[in-house]
Amino acid sequence: MKRKVVAFVSSMLLCLTSAVSFAAETIKIGALYPMSGRGGLYGQDSEAAIKIALAEVNAKGLPGGKKLDVIVTDDQSKPALAVTLAKRYITEDKVKFLYGVVSSGAALAVTEVSKEYKTIFVGTDHAATDLTANAFQKYYFRVSNNTYQSMAAGALYMKDEMKGAKKIAYIGPDYAYGRDQIAELKYSLGKLGVQYEMVGEFWPKLYEPDYTSYITAIIKAQPDVLVSGFWGGDTVAFIKQAKAYGLFKKMKYFHPDGGGNYEVFSTLGAECPEGLIMSARHHNNWPETKENKDFVAKFKKATGRYPSYAAEGAYAGILAIAEAIKKVGNADDTEALIKAMEGMKVRLPEDPKGFASYIDPKTHQMVQAQAIGVTVKNDKFAPAKYMLGKFKVYPADKIMPTQEYIDILIKTKKK
Amino acid sequence: MKTKLTEMAPWLAYFVIFVSMIFAGSDHSIHVASQIIILGLFAIAFNVLFGTTGLLSFGQAIFYGLGAYITGMMAKSFGADFFLWALLIAPVAALALSAVLGVLSLRLSEVYFTMLTLAFAQLAWGICVKWSSFTGGDDGIQAIPKPDILNMGGRNYYIFALVIVSICIYLLWRLDRSPFGSVLKGIRQNPIRISFIGLNVFRHKLFAYMISSSFTAIAGGLYAGIDKSIHPDMLVWTMSGSIILMTILGGMRSFFGPLIGVAVFILLEDVIGRSTEYWSFVIGIIMITVVLLFPKGIVGVSRHFAGLFAKKGGQFDNP
Repeated sequence: MKRKVVAFVSSMLLCLTSAVSFAAETIKIGALYPMSGRGGLYGQDSEAAIKIALAEVNAKGLPGGKKLDVIVTDDQSKPALAVTLAKRYITEDKVKFLYGVVSSGAALAVTEVSKEYKTIFVGTDHAATDLTANAFQKYYFRVSNNTYQSMAAGALYMKDEMKGAKKIAYIGPDYAYGRDQIAELKYSLGKLGVQYEMVGEFWPKLYEPDYTSYITAIIKAQPDVLVSGFWGGDTVAFIKQAKAYGLFKKMKYFHPDGGGNYEVFSTLGAECPEGLIMSARHHNNWPETKENKDFVAKFKKATGRYPSYAAEGAYAGILAIAEAIKKVGNADDTEALIKAMEGMKVRLPEDPKGFASYIDPKTHQMVQAQAIGVTVKNDKFAPAKYMLGKFKVYPADKIMPTQEYIDILIKTKKK
Repeated sequence: MKTKLTEMAPWLAYFVIFVSMIFAGSDHSIHVASQIIILGLFAIAFNVLFGTTGLLSFGQAIFYGLGAYITGMMAKSFGADFFLWALLIAPVAALALSAVLGVLSLRLSEVYFTMLTLAFAQLAWGICVKWSSFTGGDDGIQAIPKPDILNMGGRNYYIFALVIVSICIYLLWRLDRSPFGSVLKGIRQNPIRISFIGLNVFRHKLFAYMISSSFTAIAGGLYAGIDKSIHPDMLVWTMSGSIILMTILGGMRSFFGPLIGVAVFILLEDVIGRSTEYWSFVIGIIMITVVLLFPKGIVGVSRHFAGLFAKKGGQFDNP
């Protein structure tokens, strides 16, 4: 018995001493991502992309010969854990920036820490519009799209490309992300004066395994277009099941925020139906710029797979941080960094020719163009057999949340 | 009742450790210590049911969440000054809710009681997630205000929480040693005998359930002040589950065991989580080791070794 206790205690001590230490000349960034479970791929892709960005940025050099370093910890997408880790990053690891976060619930909690400790938080993957609207605080920046931008682009697409589609049905996961998307689409359609009729809204729970009852109900409602608000594995599961019922032959499928994620195409492979209208925050095959091709190739080389959209957001944030530090000359003057980041332009893989993403000074939201495409045969990005093509591009300034909408959010959700 | 010196030893250790944190702790360790005392109160209150009365509730998170949401939502609607009042309202609300749920679920025994408490908690979680216009849904509630004096860094709030938690733990400790506490232990060991000596088993169980629940709500309310944000995770069944786990880890047959379990669990999470993303795997292995090799938990083990030297065990604490 005693020997067992000794073995147990020594194994615990081993765990204690293996805590990692970092060199002093580095500027530390504390990143939080889920590393397992449904969001795990987003975390892993983000970590790989961060490494690519760090290599580029550190090769170019920063003021004072300093280097950027990123610590990544698994937040399990749990708000309480994310907050604990964020506080530890700031007080123990002395990070200058908080970074990442996939879950919007966790991000909303972390942005409070950022505000309290006056530490910049660069959000890379969570999409809740709230963070740059009603829950906005000046230490927060987001370098990837929010759902408003996707849905505003979606409304423009519906107006121009789907003129005959009057009857709309919506299906999305029954939580804030799913609810926000349709509210934002309705708002944008209203602003554009598009006439439409909602013939049904369907709210399966997140990670629902069986969509049969929803699929039959949607077919019965006979919409012209089914708008979808799923993400990740839910998109794949729904498409597989709906295809068996011939849903995609009966109506258009429109999925402007998370549908066109590479994760969906690589999982569906040859099973992906043709003609689905989708978008994502980043596409591996659009735009065909050097930056995008380089990014995708580097990612493939490093990991052996193509990136999901989370990767580009994680890559973008590091570039933005490096750019801001270069402008200010150091990473210690937080207020100057904020000033530098407001309005700052960063050329990113997802930027079409002649455009550079920039940070809106008022909301700290990265302003980006959105491209919506249609699934077509394309096997250049194996294991995917279908990719998006026939892209329609919506300029960045047309799809930013209006002040009116921000006011509505503040009024309905409180600050 | 006279208190023996050996019975005061855990209290001494408790105060030495947690009070010294005020002076010696870094910002991060104070944050971790705040979580330990608050979850520790939750675990000790839970153990009134589990270790003392022998009732395994799988739904105590409902009261933890209730306390957090009452405090959070009230402070948010009525302003920072209301935070303290909300902390008082939370246990009263939990008392009322637990009276209703207790009457419904305590009629059932053992596994049926456990399942019903789980069902009620999941129901509450469902309402919390679905009714997003009221509760903030799965995004939770952020920017919960609290009085300025508690706002300056984590230290002030830690002192505040430590005072409240210590008072609560003391009350529960007195309860544990009171005749009422002895009846609860009697119910665990042999409920029929308790009814034969003329005591109402159901009523005692109900009181234990209500007391446990209202202290749990205080813990939840205190938690709303640490991070200024709350979320439905606090109500979900895994929350109840981890409290059970921590209690077993520390030792359910001792009063301070659950607190030790909480401390060990949170410290492991903090230390191991730094070096590997597979930390839940490591914690899992440690849990299995403890449960298989030391079924009486950490306190049980240390008592065992203490007993080897003193040649006597804690005779009151055997199951």
